[in-house]
Amino acid sequence: MEESEGFVRTLARRRWPRLGGYAFLAPALVLLVAFLLGPAVWVFGLSLFNWNLISASPVFIGLENFRVLITQDPLWWQAVRQTFYYTFVSVPASMGLGLLLAVLLSRPLRGRSLLRGAIFVPYVTPLVATIIVWQWIFNADYGLLNSLLGALHLPRPGWLASSTWVMPAIIIYTVWQQTGLNLVVYLAGLTNIPAELQEAARVDGAGAWATFRRVTWPLLGPTTYFLLLVNLIWSFKVFTPIYVFTTNSGGPGNAAVTIGYYLYEEAFRFFHAGYAAAISVALFLLILLLTGLQMRFFARRVFYA
Amino acid sequence: MTVSRMRVAAGLGRYLLLALFAALFCFPFYWMLVVSLSKPSDVFTFTPHLWPEWQFRNYLQVWQSADWLRLLANTLLTTGGRVALVLLTSVLGGYAFAAMRFWGKSVVFALVLAVYMVPTEVTLVPNFITLSHLGWLDTYQVQFVPLGASVFGIFLMRQYFMSLPPDLWEAAQLDGCSHLRYLALVAAPLARPALVTVGLLQFIEGWNAFLWPLIMTSTEKIQPLQVALAAFSFVDSTQPVLLAAGAFMTTAPILIVFFFAQRQLVGGIATTGLRG
Repeated sequence: MEESEGFVRTLARRRWPRLGGYAFLAPALVLLVAFLLGPAVWVFGLSLFNWNLISASPVFIGLENFRVLITQDPLWWQAVRQTFYYTFVSVPASMGLGLLLAVLLSRPLRGRSLLRGAIFVPYVTPLVATIIVWQWIFNADYGLLNSLLGALHLPRPGWLASSTWVMPAIIIYTVWQQTGLNLVVYLAGLTNIPAELQEAARVDGAGAWATFRRVTWPLLGPTTYFLLLVNLIWSFKVFTPIYVFTTNSGGPGNAAVTIGYYLYEEAFRFFHAGYAAAISVALFLLILLLTGLQMRFFARRVFYA
Repeated sequence: MTVSRMRVAAGLGRYLLLALFAALFCFPFYWMLVVSLSKPSDVFTFTPHLWPEWQFRNYLQVWQSADWLRLLANTLLTTGGRVALVLLTSVLGGYAFAAMRFWGKSVVFALVLAVYMVPTEVTLVPNFITLSHLGWLDTYQVQFVPLGASVFGIFLMRQYFMSLPPDLWEAAQLDGCSHLRYLALVAAPLARPALVTVGLLQFIEGWNAFLWPLIMTSTEKIQPLQVALAAFSFVDSTQPVLLAAGAFMTTAPILIVFFFAQRQLVGGIATTGLRG
């Protein structure tokens, strides 16, 4: 009697938990599949169609969208070039500055969390609101920056009104906005380095720079790698600063059009769904490698942290 | 003697450099305030004045120029919905991965990790099509339901639940406690620090959301603050004083949250490198 009850209970316990997990996972799974994984697969299919969202029904055209994108669309290549320009200037600058400030902040200091907070706060404040004030700082005639440059008898660029300077202006803003992220992640990385290692180097007669170069920097390797991926991915997709800074114009002579902005324009201004899907696929492939590496890193943190 | 004096000098130099950078990074917020409190004609000069002129009536004028309460309510509603939904899906999903055994778990786990590789931007076109067929465009729910699950949230909760002592669950099980009851009464309350982190990051994400609501909504009745603010900035680009006032009004709540929750926010972002 007792034995059979125990048996029933084991059976129940064996069978019940086999699928019960899905009841708990269902809300998350439904949303992730419906709005992320599903669309990510579907976008490849969409890219094979000619489809103007407003009028006609979709027409299958094979790889035609990609052929046009690669061989007949100078604006696409301009967007690619400008995205690379934006990325490969802003990412090293904000990572370098973040690292410098993290090193300065890594030793105990009065008011340390206040200083850290002051540099970090641009990262969490709304982009649109802060861009509005930066737009005014960059104003060619009345902006603070040009007043300062004028007072120093330096040339006063047209910034947002100039096809040469619009991208540097947006890069300056981005460095201001993103450095805080790099600072706090580097700071977390630095606190994980045992202080004895740096002290040992110092006792051995290594100067501050040599200690940094030979001890701190190599040990920060995983942090740098992680930050590089996060920054590159964010930067390849950039949209909001471009949209707001250029008042949805792409800048003078399209000089601020990036891949993310071009995708938005094609999809939601011209409603070229198929063509925009092809741009999405290209962007996806561009960052897939990076996100794959980031995922491995993330998975490792999740598994072993 | 000289060595210690050099140390003091180096320490002072470090301090000054940091203070300089801190001031530089905060300056745009100060400038936002200064411009927003200027006499509207005084900002159009070649030598800007660096102190506020305390023209509070600018704020009154801005306040009357749009239905800010409505925009604020829209923002709070969609942000609140997003926070609640992400917490719910993360707690349930994280718990399932941490504490339950079920058929196909490793496959589902890999699937969720794969979702982590999908950038939202790439899914905009298909999502726009789906959501317009659902009749969800320009609604409240479109602003948070599709964003209601976060891979990061699920994994953070999973990690937290795995760190709870297994004895707890064994004891609860002996008392005849089901997974759901145990989660609601024991595990989730114990996971409060992780819940706060996920919730805070989602709050910031929701408040600052821009591209998604820009595409999925079209009327001010439904739109959040940031989308409306961008539209104002396109129309009133010749009125920097009023725009700065509007920008400050929508930034202040985040500054306040940041002031009180800096530690949790910085901690959450430093461990993930990501918002949301």
